[in-house]
Amino acid sequence: MEAASRAFSFVDRITSVHHGRQIRGRYAIPAELRDFPLALVGEAVGQLAAWAAMAAVDFGQRPVAGLAGSIELLQVPLPGQVLELAADLENVDAEGVAYGGTAHVDGTPVIRLKDCVGPMVPLADFDNPEALRTRFEQLCRAGVAPGGFRGLPQLALERTGGEPGQSVSASFQVPAEAPLFADHFPRRAVFPGSLFMHINLQLGAALASEISPPAEGRWVPATILDMKLRSCIPPGATLRLEAKLKQHSPESASPTLEGRTSKEIIATAGLRLRPGAGE
Amino acid sequence: MAVFPKIAEIIAAALPCEIERVKLEASLIDDLGAQSIDFLDIVFRLERAFKVKLPRGKIIEDARGNLSQVEFEQGGLVSPAGLERLKLFLSEVPAGRFASPLKVADIPRLFTTETFCKMVVRQQQTTAAAAGAKPA
Repeated sequence: MEAASRAFSFVDRITSVHHGRQIRGRYAIPAELRDFPLALVGEAVGQLAAWAAMAAVDFGQRPVAGLAGSIELLQVPLPGQVLELAADLENVDAEGVAYGGTAHVDGTPVIRLKDCVGPMVPLADFDNPEALRTRFEQLCRAGVAPGGFRGLPQLALERTGGEPGQSVSASFQVPAEAPLFADHFPRRAVFPGSLFMHINLQLGAALASEISPPAEGRWVPATILDMKLRSCIPPGATLRLEAKLKQHSPESASPTLEGRTSKEIIATAGLRLRPGAGE
Repeated sequence: MAVFPKIAEIIAAALPCEIERVKLEASLIDDLGAQSIDFLDIVFRLERAFKVKLPRGKIIEDARGNLSQVEFEQGGLVSPAGLERLKLFLSEVPAGRFASPLKVADIPRLFTTETFCKMVVRQQQTTAAAAGAKPA
């Protein structure tokens, strides 16, 4: 498969797979990138779990982003580093896959996902099942050449209001076109839930910068809690986002995050901030 | 029903909504605004909390009982025999809420908190019976 058609693929090789139960793999972050946000590391773990889930149902369905009980944001990896990916499947069937997973760099965990559930959708609606089956076999054997991902498109938030230290609201225009849509997914373009999480984290960080700071350092995102994506986000969608402070103590601060279209709530999550080094 | 407080807590956390709104007779879709992703969320939370397996589609499969798929539904509509079976099985749902004809896709609209309580209790009994039947 051409690298250009893997513009949003984050598994270079599957090193072991136990049918429907466990999968291990790796991804080499291209050295020429400026950065590699933790949301993409979460995407890599999710993609690894998706490979195991698709193989378990013989490529009849594929999971999409749905629920995450908790995502611990431990350390941002650097371009050029190799992510060691792991996913353990709790359950997989034609309706959903439940899993947890981690990514490590040089033995140090950088992200930890717990209690995640991906609703299954008919694979043929989103991708070519035979092409994916072939790619899975390739990943399990020698792997694929790294480097398909060339960086994120411009993802700009426009602040629209809020109350300092209490809430921030913003508008986000999903790009109508971007290389990633050819890969996510070839037959139906969907804005990745992980990038939506990335945008929401930016909003959470904007709110964190306005909350009265901890005794030392500043507030940094520690854990995303109870994330739920209620529907697929199409290219070109206009979304309204809001981060609201729910709890604040010397040890932690907890905003809630919500994204909606003009009609409905499409995503909700909680964010736990902890005191961290001032940078 | 002994499992109700825990199940109400799980439903309230999944939707999310105030726990006071999660009454035994509340329809998850019509009263609490649940969507399909919420059902998946609730089922996985119930599995973890009660240490039981709740196969997807279990409620409809159980409701069908000894009726074959064709006897239960045709062309996406629940048959008259299927509707009678469903009313018996979902005895917690007021009769007036069963539309006729009823689309199979609309069956989840009938589900109440009590429906999930009954499902968990049934599955706990099944699990306990299976464990008791195993040779020592």
